[in-house]
Amino acid sequence: MNIEHRKNMKKRISILKFLLLVVVLTTGCNIQVPKDPYTLVYHLGSEPDTLNRLTATDAYEGRINGFIFDGLIERDNATLEFKPKLAENWEISDDKLTFTFHLRQGIKWHDGAPFTADDVLYTYKQIMNEKVDAPHLRVYYKDIKEVEKLDDYTVRFTYSIPYFKALEFVGGISVIPKHLFDDGQDFNSHPVNRAPIGTGPYKFKEWQTGKRIVLERNEAYWDQTKFPDIKKILFKIIPDDTVALQVLKKGDLDIASLRPIQWVRQTGSPQFNEQFMKLQYYTPGYRYVGWNLRRPFFQDKKVRRALAQLINREAIVDKLEYGLGKLVTGPFWIFGYEYNQELPNITFNPEAAKKLLDESGWIDRDGDGIREKDGVKFSFTFLIPAGAAFYTRLATIMKSDFEKAGVEINIQTMEWAAFVNRLNSRDFDAVSLAWAFGFDEDPYQVWHSTQVEKGSNFVGFNNGEADRLLEEARTVFDKEKRAKLYHRLHEIIYEEQPYAFLYTGPALVARQRRFSNVNVYPAGIDILEWKVDKGP
Amino acid sequence: MTSYLIKRLLAMIPTLLGITLITFFIIKLAPGDPISLKVQAMQGLKAEAMSAQVAEEMLKLYGLKVELPPKYEAFIHNFTTRIHGSDPQDKPFFIRKALTWLGQNAIQYTTWIKKLVKLDFGRSFKDHRPVLDKIKEALPITLTLNILEIIIVYFISIPLGVYSALHRETFLDSTIMLFLFILYSLPSFWVATILLMYLASGDHLNWFPMLGIISDGADQLSFFEKIGNVAWHLVLPVTAMVYGGFAFLTRFSRSTMLEVVKQDFVRTAAAKGLPRRKVIWKHAFRNQLIPLITLMGTLLPALLGGSVIIEQIFSIPGMGKLAFESVLARDYPTIMAIAAISAFLTLISLLLSDLAYVWVDPRITFEGRGKK
Repeated sequence: MNIEHRKNMKKRISILKFLLLVVVLTTGCNIQVPKDPYTLVYHLGSEPDTLNRLTATDAYEGRINGFIFDGLIERDNATLEFKPKLAENWEISDDKLTFTFHLRQGIKWHDGAPFTADDVLYTYKQIMNEKVDAPHLRVYYKDIKEVEKLDDYTVRFTYSIPYFKALEFVGGISVIPKHLFDDGQDFNSHPVNRAPIGTGPYKFKEWQTGKRIVLERNEAYWDQTKFPDIKKILFKIIPDDTVALQVLKKGDLDIASLRPIQWVRQTGSPQFNEQFMKLQYYTPGYRYVGWNLRRPFFQDKKVRRALAQLINREAIVDKLEYGLGKLVTGPFWIFGYEYNQELPNITFNPEAAKKLLDESGWIDRDGDGIREKDGVKFSFTFLIPAGAAFYTRLATIMKSDFEKAGVEINIQTMEWAAFVNRLNSRDFDAVSLAWAFGFDEDPYQVWHSTQVEKGSNFVGFNNGEADRLLEEARTVFDKEKRAKLYHRLHEIIYEEQPYAFLYTGPALVARQRRFSNVNVYPAGIDILEWKVDKGP
Repeated sequence: MTSYLIKRLLAMIPTLLGITLITFFIIKLAPGDPISLKVQAMQGLKAEAMSAQVAEEMLKLYGLKVELPPKYEAFIHNFTTRIHGSDPQDKPFFIRKALTWLGQNAIQYTTWIKKLVKLDFGRSFKDHRPVLDKIKEALPITLTLNILEIIIVYFISIPLGVYSALHRETFLDSTIMLFLFILYSLPSFWVATILLMYLASGDHLNWFPMLGIISDGADQLSFFEKIGNVAWHLVLPVTAMVYGGFAFLTRFSRSTMLEVVKQDFVRTAAAKGLPRRKVIWKHAFRNQLIPLITLMGTLLPALLGGSVIIEQIFSIPGMGKLAFESVLARDYPTIMAIAAISAFLTLISLLLSDLAYVWVDPRITFEGRGKK
């Protein structure tokens, strides 16, 4: 009994000791690892699936690999024109079909192996390889007839048709190291996919799944003009953006994207502004409502104009985006040369809309508050993706305004994969989405009539003149001439209103003040040129 | 006992097959497929018509489009002809489509089962990594959280239930119950956010970290410091997971205790003049534990499942997020692996709880159970 008791006592004491230890440790745990001003902590909302340049399909991969890899050519931040990078210079033949790149010599991959024309050739071969999970890229390179290696530092791409984006595609090819991948292992699941080796200003250091990805400065970076001041970039994965903003405020993030509500409401305190600076810039893209032109309601362009007049876009930008956004009239980047600035915004005008609807024969004859024509009621389903509060609120605003004009909307929300499925099978009445695209955009996939069946022209827009303009523009290499064609295209689309174009929203970013030389270019921000102020 | 065990284990095979078969067909029937998601994701839905053909190639690469045996093709042809009178191959007859789909998926399912026998769960469609590797990464995190949760919930709820039962219909009893039900009804995403904003954000208090389960750079810490660091990170997520769980178990333990206390042997023990403590804890409490064994059946699978909401808010890369993201991306191999493992664990824990019954209650025998 006595022994038993003593044992119990011992046990109790050791439990107590343990508890005490835990308490001491947890309270003493504020041993925060001292912050290094030369480390930039960057917010990622989700982690990339892979860091293989060819098989990746998410936006996160590009944000990380952009620091690890160089392109053959790159866009100038300010002018958006191409300039040499891995390729010292390049030649384009007079027929605009062959592109010859002279690669810079003496460039080394991060593991020390030399960068040569073989790497470029290998990359192209892998993109076109059916066994490689890169279907999205293969489409871009389908018109290339031949790729040749003229010598170790010269590559020539030959196109079968002239295309103004050809230089961007071949020059922007994401060159991967042949000597690492070409070892007989499966390409799609190669270990290098999770520890990439590039030629760029930063080297990959570690990837802790779901937590963080760390890059270190490449001290031997070949391009001394772009040698960065920041020594380490730590990508922190924080899925919830409310949490991310708090982490930023706490000082554990240096740069994070903001939502409009955060920009306007939650980042205004003097304390915040003492530590951070907010930046905004517009990248190419726009939101829209697309009408399925195969449906009886949307076949008349007068009706589509009337519907556009029923969407209170000013109120939508004001209420849903806190005023952060610019109304657009067509399918181009509002700051691009392609955008036709002469077309006036379609303003919210229910009376004019009602008149147009009356004129086109959609009249409420049976007095139930909903217009009809030829026995068809003007009542359609509005398909929106689930999970984004924006679309639900947009649909609600539209529903109430449309109903006042005698048009009924049934809102249908669908999970993304199911939503894509409906778009691909063209099984929808109206849909709301956003396009994001690059500079020098080719709108062919979205508007050409050959893309109605299987491409991205899911609304079924079919216009002879538009087709001709789209085809011609593809072969025009002169920006100004192309701009003219696109201005006309913009006009046609504006006339036809296959989409009700809504607005384009800016990228909103908050960044720590300890960095200087932070510039906002048309292309966005360039972390490579940031300088670190060591501070007190 | 051995024959009973073997019988039970053998009976698990068809059950497991049934569960995986149903799961497989449900996810296949869900609209959307991983390839078009991938093709579309890259260009934000901007695909050229050409990409439809490329996507077709990818379906084959992923094993989502297989060759049907010629015999089956002939069968489809005959069947369609008999029903429609003719079989124009190009027309998408519903029956033709349905039969092809069924054949395709039957072959894919058998392939999956064949691999499963070798414990090969395949590779994820999302990143081409072995599914098992992905689960191995997420599982320890979820296990830690869930074990802590279960321990805390059980150690608080069961005594609380006993206490409530012994003081039934008093002010204290109702207060405890009211309080627990209030906790039960608070949504966890709200509580989690509130906890973060008030205790961790630095706007109010700065006691806890905002995210993850270990600090960056924790490698520099000693072993005990590391444990402390993890514990410090776990306080908020575990709190957010635990508070809703008290109500059910307390209620359960209270009602079983009430039943046991009414039994004759308890009255006898009290009549014998045993001290109240002994009556309650030795005679009543031990018997009260028997019904709790039923709950064991839910324990193992509960260990595996993570909470999407908690993991999302606290930035914890656990099983909940893995499963959720796999479903969104239609990553069939990962979904199937998680479903198969949870199904297996559920069956195992049902078996374990049946065994435990026999062990604690001499009135139940294997023979009696086996005959049923």
